[in-house]
Amino acid sequence: MSTTTISSPQRSARGSLTFAGVLRSEWIKFRSLRSTQLLLAFTFLAVVGVGTMAAWVQAMSLEQAMANGMNMGMPGAPVEPMTLSQAQAAMGFNIYAIPNAGLQIGILILGALAVLLISSEFGTGMIRSTMTAVPKRLPAFFAKAVVLIVVSYVLTLLAAIATTVIAIPIFSSYGIDISFGLDGVAYSILMGGLYVAGVALIGLSLGTLLRSSAGGIIVLVVIFFLLDFGTQLMSLMPGEFWKYVNQYVPSVAGGRMLEITEKAAFISPLSGGLIFVGWILLFMIPAIISLKNRDV
Amino acid sequence: MIEAVNLAKHYGAKTAVGGVTFTVQPGMVTGFLGPNGAGKSTTMRMIMGLDKPTRGTVTVNGKPYVQHRDPLHQVGALLDAKAVHTSRSAYNHLLAMAATHNISTKRVNEVIDMTGLAAVAKKKAGGFSLGMGQRLGIASALLGDPQTLILDEPVNGLDPEGVLWVRNLAKHLASQGKTVFLSSHLMSEMAQTADHLIVIGRGQIIADAPIAQILSGAQQAKVRVRTSEVTRLSQLLGNNGVKVECNENETLEVSGLDARQIAAIAMENNVLVYELTPLTTSLEDAYFNLTKDAVEYHSQEFNNEPVAAAVKGL
Repeated sequence: MSTTTISSPQRSARGSLTFAGVLRSEWIKFRSLRSTQLLLAFTFLAVVGVGTMAAWVQAMSLEQAMANGMNMGMPGAPVEPMTLSQAQAAMGFNIYAIPNAGLQIGILILGALAVLLISSEFGTGMIRSTMTAVPKRLPAFFAKAVVLIVVSYVLTLLAAIATTVIAIPIFSSYGIDISFGLDGVAYSILMGGLYVAGVALIGLSLGTLLRSSAGGIIVLVVIFFLLDFGTQLMSLMPGEFWKYVNQYVPSVAGGRMLEITEKAAFISPLSGGLIFVGWILLFMIPAIISLKNRDV
Repeated sequence: MIEAVNLAKHYGAKTAVGGVTFTVQPGMVTGFLGPNGAGKSTTMRMIMGLDKPTRGTVTVNGKPYVQHRDPLHQVGALLDAKAVHTSRSAYNHLLAMAATHNISTKRVNEVIDMTGLAAVAKKKAGGFSLGMGQRLGIASALLGDPQTLILDEPVNGLDPEGVLWVRNLAKHLASQGKTVFLSSHLMSEMAQTADHLIVIGRGQIIADAPIAQILSGAQQAKVRVRTSEVTRLSQLLGNNGVKVECNENETLEVSGLDARQIAAIAMENNVLVYELTPLTTSLEDAYFNLTKDAVEYHSQEFNNEPVAAAVKGL
């Protein structure tokens, strides 16, 4: 391998450190990994695919409930037709939420991707190059956060629109009319990405705190999947307190942001959103302090 | 210019760097020499703000590195050839590094050509050999055309052509008035590149002097003389700064005179001499002597050969 002679100082090497530059750097890093590109394409397909299946199952069971009522399997019980809203209440879901029917799979993958965005830099040693170029460290963290927010939001938004477009004919084939104009549909489409972006910020914070891909992803799964089940079990314990714990966990509070209806004995969508922001800060602030102070 | 004052780093009870004070001057190549585990890399990481000093301060071009507004133009550093995401291509790695400082794509291509990476620039950095990894690390260090260059073991894994290139690069940049700070555990490498040496062992500075001074100290050759009249010859030789040691029977070790001068004195005085062997002290021996008490990890000795002999063979 031959090397050319050393040239004299180059004007092309001049420039200065700016946040816009750091942001561009993080974007180049994000888009230049083939695995990331493939993962994003797969995530889009998975979110739309799961959403489509969910839409089909929901449409089918709603149609059944409307035609035959819900006799809860009791033989000989009277069978009465239901209205669409009665059927929705009985089944425990809202058709306006159909754009985000595949959201859970998106949370899992994009959350894991967010952990990896920084933990892989610790794993490979890349973090030392990053922190040499950005010695104040936090601009690199915030640039990563911006990249994640934009990517999560845009991907979730596109997937929600695609899911809705596919779900409309499925529902109409079961005689149920939904459209982009239905109350809550546009709201769901716009809000789903915010929730996923929040999950991504928690993932980034976990990756920064734990510096380990496996550890970060495991903790993320515990927080967004197991905590919900765990607190649902807790609600079976005696005492009023335990019945309310579940609605404050990140996934339930964050999921509440996407709803437009009030529920009895349940936090409002706005409170859910604020509690979720609280959770994000709870992970982000220690991550920032750790990144600023620990050796890399 | 790099100025470290009482710089120390402790990991729990272990002291990696124990309060070092030194200055690296611009316009020359300064070598940072020491055995493995002496604290070279830790010191360099503290200069770059990657590790926080337990005590003391270090500034580059007048300020702590972290406080510079254009860090990549102040300092280019190769601290670890593996500081690269293994799945990203060398080109994209450099492009991302350059983007932080709004450095042009043209400069990215320049450093790729300069370091001889053109043929592999679009390949994943994870598949690079140690030598190619070093070239990529040097390319990132040169991106901002920095005032100060810090290279940790830059010739590790390079082929002879690459070693020569790094040497010339270091000298060329120093001749432009830049500060060049290179670490190595090989004295011979330093002897060919550095103008000034800072020797570190067990986290302490052992020597901080111009290379010529260290070499002259190192190359004080001795001559082994075997004679039947040890006392008389010692008296005849032992004046004007000539040092004579007698460690075994009928044997003298003389420094300050060469074999021919000793033979002449012996002949004039009719002293029987039956062996005259010049004992040259190599740079490695000198380095070994400097650092022997400061080596963190002693290798086991094989066949009773001292470690110095093994080092000499490198």
